[in-house]
Amino acid sequence: MPAYIARRLAMAVGTVLAAVVISFLLVHSADGSPGAVALGPSGTPEAIAAKNHELGWDRPLVTQFVDYLGHLVRGDLGTSLIDNRSIATDLATRLPVTGFIALFATLLSGVVGVVVGVTAAVRGGRFGKAITSSSGVALSLPAFWVGILLVYVISLQLGWLPATGYVNFTDDPVGWFQSLVLPVLTLAVGGAAIVARTANAGMRDALGQEHIRTLRALGTPPWRIRYVHALRYASVPVVSVLGIQFIALFGGSVIIENLFALPGLGQASQAAVSAHDFPALIGVVVVATVVVVVTNLLLDLLVAALDPKVRAA
Amino acid sequence: MSVLPLPDADTIAAEAAPTEPVPPAQRRRGVPGFLRRPGGALGAAWLVVVVVASFTAPLWRPYAVDEQDLDHRLALPSGAHLLGTDPTGRDVLSRIATAGAEPLLSAALTVLVAFAIGLPLALIAAERGKRVEQVISRVTEVFLALPSTIILLALIGVIGSRMYIVMAALGVLISAAVYRVMLGVAQSVRQRLYVDAARVNGLGSLRVNVVHVLPSMATVIAVQAAQLFGIGLLINAGLAFLGFGPSEPQPSWGFMIQDASKHIYDDPWLLVPTGLVLALTVVAANELADALAGKAAGRDERPRARRRAPLRTAAAAAAPADPANVLEVRDLSVSVDGGPQLVSGVSFALRPGRVLGLVGESGCGKTMTARSLLGLLPDGVSVSGGVILWQGRDLADLPEKELNAVRGREIAMISQEPMVALDPMFSVEYQLVQPIRRFRGAGRGEARRIAAELLRNVGIVDAERVLASHPHQLSGGMAQRVAIALALTGEPKLLVADEPTTALDVTVQAEILSLLRALVRDTGLSVVVVSHDLGVVADICDDVAVMYAGAVVESGTAAGVLDEPAHPYAMALLAANPHVPAGEPVPVRLASIAGTVPPPGSWPTGCRFAGRCQFAQQQCTTPFPALPAHGDGTVLCIRAAELSGARWGAVAVGAETVPAPAASTLTPPTPPLPTAGASR
Repeated sequence: MPAYIARRLAMAVGTVLAAVVISFLLVHSADGSPGAVALGPSGTPEAIAAKNHELGWDRPLVTQFVDYLGHLVRGDLGTSLIDNRSIATDLATRLPVTGFIALFATLLSGVVGVVVGVTAAVRGGRFGKAITSSSGVALSLPAFWVGILLVYVISLQLGWLPATGYVNFTDDPVGWFQSLVLPVLTLAVGGAAIVARTANAGMRDALGQEHIRTLRALGTPPWRIRYVHALRYASVPVVSVLGIQFIALFGGSVIIENLFALPGLGQASQAAVSAHDFPALIGVVVVATVVVVVTNLLLDLLVAALDPKVRAA
Repeated sequence: MSVLPLPDADTIAAEAAPTEPVPPAQRRRGVPGFLRRPGGALGAAWLVVVVVASFTAPLWRPYAVDEQDLDHRLALPSGAHLLGTDPTGRDVLSRIATAGAEPLLSAALTVLVAFAIGLPLALIAAERGKRVEQVISRVTEVFLALPSTIILLALIGVIGSRMYIVMAALGVLISAAVYRVMLGVAQSVRQRLYVDAARVNGLGSLRVNVVHVLPSMATVIAVQAAQLFGIGLLINAGLAFLGFGPSEPQPSWGFMIQDASKHIYDDPWLLVPTGLVLALTVVAANELADALAGKAAGRDERPRARRRAPLRTAAAAAAPADPANVLEVRDLSVSVDGGPQLVSGVSFALRPGRVLGLVGESGCGKTMTARSLLGLLPDGVSVSGGVILWQGRDLADLPEKELNAVRGREIAMISQEPMVALDPMFSVEYQLVQPIRRFRGAGRGEARRIAAELLRNVGIVDAERVLASHPHQLSGGMAQRVAIALALTGEPKLLVADEPTTALDVTVQAEILSLLRALVRDTGLSVVVVSHDLGVVADICDDVAVMYAGAVVESGTAAGVLDEPAHPYAMALLAANPHVPAGEPVPVRLASIAGTVPPPGSWPTGCRFAGRCQFAQQQCTTPFPALPAHGDGTVLCIRAAELSGARWGAVAVGAETVPAPAASTLTPPTPPLPTAGASR
C-alpha cells in the first residue's frame, strides 16, 4: 500500500512538472514577448526591450524556470500582463466555479451512468439494447450544442431555471445551485453515457466470472450476487473512467462557461488566450493540472480501497 | 473540450479483440463484416456523404458563403434556402457544406499524428522488453493526466488560431491513449508463436512488425482511429465555438452554432441544421467504430433466466425412485436451446456415502451433466429431457427459486480452477461467514468460529491467517481447500466436484484427493467427481460412469470397470492411461485413441465411438440398447459379449478394423535397446 501511494504521488508530481515545462516552453517559443503584449501596439522596440528586461524575460530560460518553480511552490503565479493583478488571486476566485461544475457533473455522470449501465447489464434484452445504443449517441453529442438545446427547453420553453449567469454561493445558496444546474446537466449527458458503457461492460464481465458461479452454486440470493459481488468487481474500471471523465469534464467546462456566462477558469483562459497574457496562460494550465492530479490521486485511493490486489501491489 | 475522455485503453482493446468468429452466414464475399451491421453501414454512408459534400461544396453550393440575402434574414427552410438563412441572410446549407472540409481534415490530421507517434512507440515497447516499456508507459501516463483542452487553449494563446497546428498538437497529446491501446494488442500478438517463429527464422524486427504484427492489429487500429476521429471533430468544433477557428467570412460549424445560440430567442431553428450535421458526423464515426469492433449495440442477448425447453420428455419420471439411492438421474438430455444435444439419455444412480466418477475425454458432456444437477447450465443451454431425482423431487423441473434453496444447502459444487473460484475482491473470512450466517443462522462471532473450524477441517493449519487473506494471496492448493470449505458451509449431502484437481500440482492433487476421501468417510457425504483422469477415479471413486459423446457408454463399480472394462472406449482410456499398476512392467508404447470426439450435432446413429474403435464392425452402425454389466451397471456396446477380455492395442487404428485376437496385442513389442556405441 505505501509503495502504491508513493508511486501515484510521484506520478502526480511528475504530471504537474510536465505541465509547467510544456506551458513554459510554449510561451517562450512564441513570436511575441510579454513586453510587446503589455505595451500593446504603441510600444516602441526600445520600450518593449526595457519592459522585457524588467520582467526578466531576457534571462536564460533555465533561470526563469527555476525562478518560476520557486514562486509556484509559494503559491505565487505572477501578475497579469494586462491589468497587473495577481494571477493566483484571480484564479482562486474562479476555481470554485469550474471545480464545482466538474465535480457535480462527475458525480451525476457517475450515479446515473452506474445505475443505467448496471440495470442494462442485469436486465439485458431489449432494455439493455436500447441503453447501449442510446449511450452511443449521447456520448457523441457536442456538449455546447446540448447546452443550448437545454437552455431552449428548460429555460425558454419551460421557464424552470435562469438561462445563464452566475450567483455567488455566499449571496444566495439556492440561486448558486440553480445557476449550476444547466451547466452540470449539459456536461453530464455525455459523461453519464460513457460511465454507463463502462459500467455495463464491467458488470457483464463480472457476471460471467467463475467466482460468480461459485456464489450461485451456494444458493446466494441474486441481489447479493449482483449488487455486492458483481458490482464491486465492476466498480474498479468505473472508478478509473471517472478519473478520466473528471479530466475531460474539467476541460469541457471551459466551453460550457462561455455558453452560460460563468466566471470560471474557462473564461479566464479564454481571456488570457485572446490577450496573449503569457503568465496567465501558464497559471491556468498549472492550476487545472493540479486540480486534475489531486482528484485522480483521491480516486487512486478509492481504487485501493476497493481492490485488494491494488492494495497489495 | 468535449465530454469525451481519451478512450479507455483496456476497454477498447477488449472490445476490439477479434474474439467472436463471424458465423459463416454473415460472411459474404466483397462486403466487410462491419458494413453488414446497420450502425456500421449507416455510419459509413453518412461519413461518405459528408466528406463528398464538403469537399465538392464549391461546385454545387447554391450560394457563395458570404452572399447576403438581406430580405430573408433568419429565414426558415424554403425552396430558395433549403436549410434557411443566418442572421445576415446567408444560406445555411452552403455554409455548412463549405465549413465541413476544415474540421474533417483537422480531425484526420489529429488521428494521423496520434498514430504516427503512438503506434511506433507501442511496437518498440512491445519488442524491447520491460524496461523500455516502463519508461515509455510512465511518460504516456503523464500525458494522459494532463488537461489537454486547456493546454490546447494555451497553445492558441501563443501561436494564434492556426488550427492545423493546434489539431496536430492534440494528436500528440492523444498519442498517449493510442500507445496504451496498441501496446496491449502488440504485446498479445507478439506472444503468439508464429511471431517468435518468424524471428527465429531471421526476419528483421521491422519486417516482423510489418509482416506479422501490424496486420493483426488492423481491426483495433481502425476502431480507435474512428473513435479518435469523432473526438477530434468535437474538439475542433468546441474551439471554433469559442471563436478560435477559421475567421469570418469563412464559416465553421462551431462558430455557426455559437452564432445560432445568440438567436435562440428569435430563431431557434438556426440551431438545428449545423448542430445536427456535427452531431450526426460524430455519431457516425462512433457507430462505425462499434461496428468495426464487431459490437452491434447490445449484442449477445442470451436469455438470462434458466429456461427449460418446452418439449421436455418426462417419460422416465413415471417410475418411482429407488429409496436406496440418494440421487437418480434418468435419461437426462441437455441441449443448446434450439440447437444440438450436448448430453443424451444419461442415467446413473448414487447411493449415500459413495463417490461416483464421471470420466471421459473433453467434450463428452461430463461437465454439462454435473452442472445440470445444480441447475447451473450456461446461458442458452438447458435440460431438454429426463429427470434428476433428489429427495423426492425432480431437480430438472424445479422452479429457479426452489432450486436456489437446494444449492449449497443440499448439493454443493467445487470447480476446476480454484484460483478464480473465489471472489478476488473479498477476504476469505467474508466469503465464508456470509453463507454460514445464511445457512446456519449463526451470529457474526459464531459464524467466524465455524469458518475457522471448517478451514481446519479441510486441513488448513493456520486458519486465522487464511481467514484474513484475500484469494490472490493463496496458493492453488490452499485456494481449493478454501473452496471445499466454502462448499461445506451449508452441510450439503452431495458434493459435485468438477475436475477438482486438474489445475493443481501433482503433489497437491494427492492431498486434495485424500481430503475428499476423508470427508466422505467422516461426514457420509456423497460425491460426484468429474474427471478425465483415471488415476483420480481409481483413487477415490466407488462407482464410475464412462461418458463418450454425450452418452454413458459403461457404468458400474470402479473396481469392475477398471479391472474388466467391457466397452472398447473404456478399454482404450485405460490403455492410454500412463498410470502403471504396481508389479507390471512399464509399457514402452502407450496406446492412443486416433481421431477426436465427434462434436454435438454430428453424432452417428448407432455407436458413437465406432469411428475410432479398433473393434468396430458393420453391426455397430445400428442403434441398440444398453446391456447390463458389472452387477448394477451397464455397457453400451453391441459386441460387449464377444469382446469380453479383449485389450485395446497400442497400434494406430488402420483403415481395416479387423479385431485383433486378444492375446496378440497383450505384449507390447520390445524396442531395440540403444547400445552405447550406436549413437556415434
